[in-house]
Amino acid sequence: MANEFPFEISPMFEGERVRKDDMFVELAGPKSRGFELVRAASVDEIEDGKFTLIGPDISEMQEGSRHPYAMIYRIAGKLVEPDLEAIVERRNHDFQNYIQGYMHLNQRYDVWVRINKDAIKKGLKSFEQIAKATMMLFKNELPFIEKIEATYVTNPEEVEKQRAEAIKIYEARDARTRGLHDEDVDVFYGCTLCQSFAPTNVCVVTPDRISLCGAINWFDGRAAAKVDPEGPQFAIPKGEVIDKISGEYSGVNEKAVALSGGEYSRIRIHSFFEYPHTSCGCFEVVGFYIPEVDGIGWVDRDFTGTAPNGLAFSTMAGQTGGGKQIIGFLGVGVNYFRSPKFIQADGGWNRVIWMPKNLKEKIKADIPPELVDKLPTEEDVTDLKTLRDYLEKKQHPITQRWTKEEAAAETVAEAPAGAAPEWSMPAPAMGMPVGMPMVPMQFGGGEGMKLTFKNAKITIDRVVLRSKEK
Amino acid sequence: MTIKKGSFVIEGLENVQINIGKVVGQGQEIEGPTPRPEIISLRNWDYRILDRYNPVYTPTGDTCDYCTYGKCDLTGNKEGACGIDLEGQSAREALRISIMGAACHSAHGRHLLNYLIRKYGEDYPIDVGPSNLKAPLTETIMGVTPKTIGDFLPVLEYVEEQLTQLTAAINTGQEGAAIDFESKALHAGMLDLLGMEVADIIQISCLNLPKAEENTPLAEIGMGILDPKKPVVICVGHNIAAPAYILDHMDRNGLFDKIEIAGLCCTAHDMTRYKKTAKIIGSMSKELKYIRSGIPDVLVTDEQCVRADILREAKKLQIPVIATNEKITYGLPDRSNDPVDAIVEDLASGKNEGALILDLEKVGEVVPKLAMKIGPIRKAKGITALPDDEEFKKLVSKCTKCLQCTRDCPQSLPISDAMAAAVGGDLSKFEELHDRCVGCGRCDYSCPADIPVLNVIEKASQRVIREEKGKVRIGRGQIGDPEIREEGRNLVLGTTPGVLAFVGCGNYPDGTKDVYDVVEEMLRRSYIIISSGCSAMDIGMYKDTEGKTLYERYPGRFIKGNLLNTGSCVSNAHIAATTIKVASIFAGRKTKGNWEEIADYVLNRVGAVGIAWGAYSQKAFAIGTGCNRLGIPVVVGPHGTKYRRAFIGKPYRKDKWNVLDARDGSVINVEPAPEHLMITAETKNELMPLLAKLCFRPSDNSLGRAIKLTHYIELSEKYMKKMPDDWHIYVRNEADLPLAKKEQLMKLLEEKGWKIDWDKKKIMEGPLRKVDVSFQPTNVPRLCKEVKK
Repeated sequence: MANEFPFEISPMFEGERVRKDDMFVELAGPKSRGFELVRAASVDEIEDGKFTLIGPDISEMQEGSRHPYAMIYRIAGKLVEPDLEAIVERRNHDFQNYIQGYMHLNQRYDVWVRINKDAIKKGLKSFEQIAKATMMLFKNELPFIEKIEATYVTNPEEVEKQRAEAIKIYEARDARTRGLHDEDVDVFYGCTLCQSFAPTNVCVVTPDRISLCGAINWFDGRAAAKVDPEGPQFAIPKGEVIDKISGEYSGVNEKAVALSGGEYSRIRIHSFFEYPHTSCGCFEVVGFYIPEVDGIGWVDRDFTGTAPNGLAFSTMAGQTGGGKQIIGFLGVGVNYFRSPKFIQADGGWNRVIWMPKNLKEKIKADIPPELVDKLPTEEDVTDLKTLRDYLEKKQHPITQRWTKEEAAAETVAEAPAGAAPEWSMPAPAMGMPVGMPMVPMQFGGGEGMKLTFKNAKITIDRVVLRSKEK
Repeated sequence: MTIKKGSFVIEGLENVQINIGKVVGQGQEIEGPTPRPEIISLRNWDYRILDRYNPVYTPTGDTCDYCTYGKCDLTGNKEGACGIDLEGQSAREALRISIMGAACHSAHGRHLLNYLIRKYGEDYPIDVGPSNLKAPLTETIMGVTPKTIGDFLPVLEYVEEQLTQLTAAINTGQEGAAIDFESKALHAGMLDLLGMEVADIIQISCLNLPKAEENTPLAEIGMGILDPKKPVVICVGHNIAAPAYILDHMDRNGLFDKIEIAGLCCTAHDMTRYKKTAKIIGSMSKELKYIRSGIPDVLVTDEQCVRADILREAKKLQIPVIATNEKITYGLPDRSNDPVDAIVEDLASGKNEGALILDLEKVGEVVPKLAMKIGPIRKAKGITALPDDEEFKKLVSKCTKCLQCTRDCPQSLPISDAMAAAVGGDLSKFEELHDRCVGCGRCDYSCPADIPVLNVIEKASQRVIREEKGKVRIGRGQIGDPEIREEGRNLVLGTTPGVLAFVGCGNYPDGTKDVYDVVEEMLRRSYIIISSGCSAMDIGMYKDTEGKTLYERYPGRFIKGNLLNTGSCVSNAHIAATTIKVASIFAGRKTKGNWEEIADYVLNRVGAVGIAWGAYSQKAFAIGTGCNRLGIPVVVGPHGTKYRRAFIGKPYRKDKWNVLDARDGSVINVEPAPEHLMITAETKNELMPLLAKLCFRPSDNSLGRAIKLTHYIELSEKYMKKMPDDWHIYVRNEADLPLAKKEQLMKLLEEKGWKIDWDKKKIMEGPLRKVDVSFQPTNVPRLCKEVKK
């Protein structure tokens, strides 16, 4: 097929690295300065396809040199709004990496670009060629962009000046993202991208809940729904608030019926036990209920050991997933720990009683400070007994739930004999929903169990008599 | 006391001890309709796929000589004496080949199981790494979750029983319909996958082979890696049992510095999985060449892919052969019960040319001892089959260019041209031939001038052979659930264009380099590449300009753009089983006894393709057929046509591409995806776009379809120098179009008569169907919510 550019454009070049020896020029990066920025503008302000370069062009650069580099795009269209800027901006990385011989790393003010010598040999002379290709990809992929223009800057003073402005814009945007919550919006977004594999999965993306896979946040959903309202991401009007704390909305419930093929009719976005969100398969972390301490443990994919309940990630993940609503297990993306509404229906962070050390380190900043030291990892506890002791010693808030329950519990189980643990367990959590799957108790070797038969009827189908083998 | 049937009452139970020996069936609820499927149980599924993917036969003969009525001429639609026609006979051949392959792997599994149970006990637990579904094929076929190696006893009993039933169906006067022979062949293929899974899981568990590890070390590979000055032990075949004892003995006695030990064919993979210091010479293609070099001082054979002439060849070079498996005994005396020293003495002195030793512990002791003893003797004599420089010159000048060798060569190699060049001192043509040569030795017999052609090729290629040193990532075993979940996002969202499994043997049409080239291209395009067996070896034989092999350049995690090696031939089971895990993990599909539903899911959703570019054996055919029954398309190289049967889809038969939407049972006519189930590609250039095309599935979302289509078009343009003829039938709307070429492609579509709204950049008319991500394609009516009448 004819190609108007002197380079190939293909996802094949996405992972392409330009090493120092093959490099013609390095732009921005850790040893220089740069940024990328997308701004919304009104339709009549923009001259579609216009390119402006401030500073030297590629053909004027010396082989092996390094320059500051800024890429500023202004976009316009009936559906374009400032909330979409960040989403569009992030695609600059994807699209530029499709260009053969052009490496784009990181985003915002951390961008790092290299162009290799082969690209120059094949006819790359000007940033205009790069900008035109990028703009073409923007418009192809995001048809709500009706007009686009690009300004690239390689002049050091100009990059510095504009970079300071850009940083202010990023900060303002981040503040808006952080400040936006479920209650501030009228629509959530649904995503069905993974229904091709997980047919009954219903993914609801809200400002306080990123998709399970971590790939789609509320702003992504908004952008995609604009591109194609009938596409895989679409608006879900919230409808009436049924329960604010657990995050149940009439609009979501209605959509859940349709999307799951009638499988599910209620979804509570921030609930662990009752009508939890469905889990597909690619969740990074699985939460699991430990009835013995009435708390929720979390284990991530990279953790190869076993949780205090004696089970490994893969075993518990096997109970979850498949686009099903599973009570007692919940798959989440790491980002959900950062949500202010994190399982708030069930006590939020106060209900969290264990996670692997590496996961804890990763999200430490988001754990309520008073809990950080009270939350044990595999280094602190190994089984249910040590877990319970630890929580008690550290006065983890979960212990307050026990006092209530222990007072309420009347039944005293007969102490098991033999190899059974010597410590007593509290009765399982009160008010647990019916159908809660219990992880089977593990008895070793059939010993230490005392069975009492009362009114038993033993039916023997066949008795085989044979001499004892020696 | 007489015990009769009926009910009786126990008056008292005091101090009663109830011993529970084994708990069977706990948590073993059968979830699907076909646990332990009989020959007929999955026939409906087979008919469904055979109706779309029609068997196409290319028989090499048109007579049948199975029974004494024959031989019968089956040409021109004639029936044989028993009533069979050529189609039926061809299908019967497909069944026969599948059974042979399945029997091979299952017998391998049986040998290992008996041996490992003797050594470790029935209750030895299964441990394959971090997975919930530890034996996916066993669960899906048998409906049970094995916990211990003893739990595999009924599994193999089932396989063996079924294989007996299937073999019976081949006898003259049994099955007559081609379609039912094929259904049975698919059954045999499925049994093959099961037998392989048993074999590999038990050896992973008991011998502590890598358990779904991504970062296994790299093993050395190549004909040039061993130090020929040391005594050299070469193990040939597929079964780790005997080599494990040799490696243990060497370890205990600190012999790794004194003896060189390496493997040929899949045993080599498992030796490196068992002891990371073991080395690999290469695939079966290297067997004859390496023996004739004279470097091995002891040859140890076990089973499968062992040349029938090893003893004859070894004898000429005074290399003793130790046979260690009942299936290959070469007429050797059984020395299993003789003292070690006596056996060593008889072999070292040349009194015996080899020994059959079935006591594997004894093998472990005999082999190193023998190597230490005979090694120096053989080295001193400088024994080799290769001609010296003087002889070489004479031999090449004897060539009369009659071309008989080229006619007999499976690869039709231009041997006489190389002879002519060598007369003038130019060895480069022979060096080229060396890579393309599969080492079969047929040329030796064809030469009327009695030139030992293979030896001449090898002699001429000594320079390249010395440099033949590559790296292979040691076999990892299964793909663990956590890795699948992590990659899930890419798989599910469609940003991984597909999973390609490069498996099977080394009967390549044009040398090992082709496999390397194809794998490299597809890795750069972010396909996940899983390899095993001889293909996994050959991928590691080439280096880039920086001297790095693909295994060094691409990591081994189950993530797009990564290169994995599962291990030996039997580890192929894990590759197929990964698709079952995908169905279980992402769709919560029940697995136990639920083959049809799982296979239907895989066929319609999982973009995985198997490639057996150099498949030669019956085993490879059985593996491919098993994958087909699981809904995985397979491409074989040109020699694969000699399997004489393909499963070809016909895109022009629109009615064959109807599927049901499981949401309501409505019938949807879909694009031909995947287009074929088993097909041959002639060249690597034809292979690459075909692979991209076979990754299409009806359930693709637009993101995924656009990426798959990008690679299909790009690979076709790059290697076939043209746009594919059928790219447009995979376009359902504008979002399916490759991003960078959207506008150009829309223009082409308009030229084809499609209606485009250029303002909205939307396709208004033309595609076969609309894209609907929630569409749930299925070929199985019972899986639909309500079937429309």
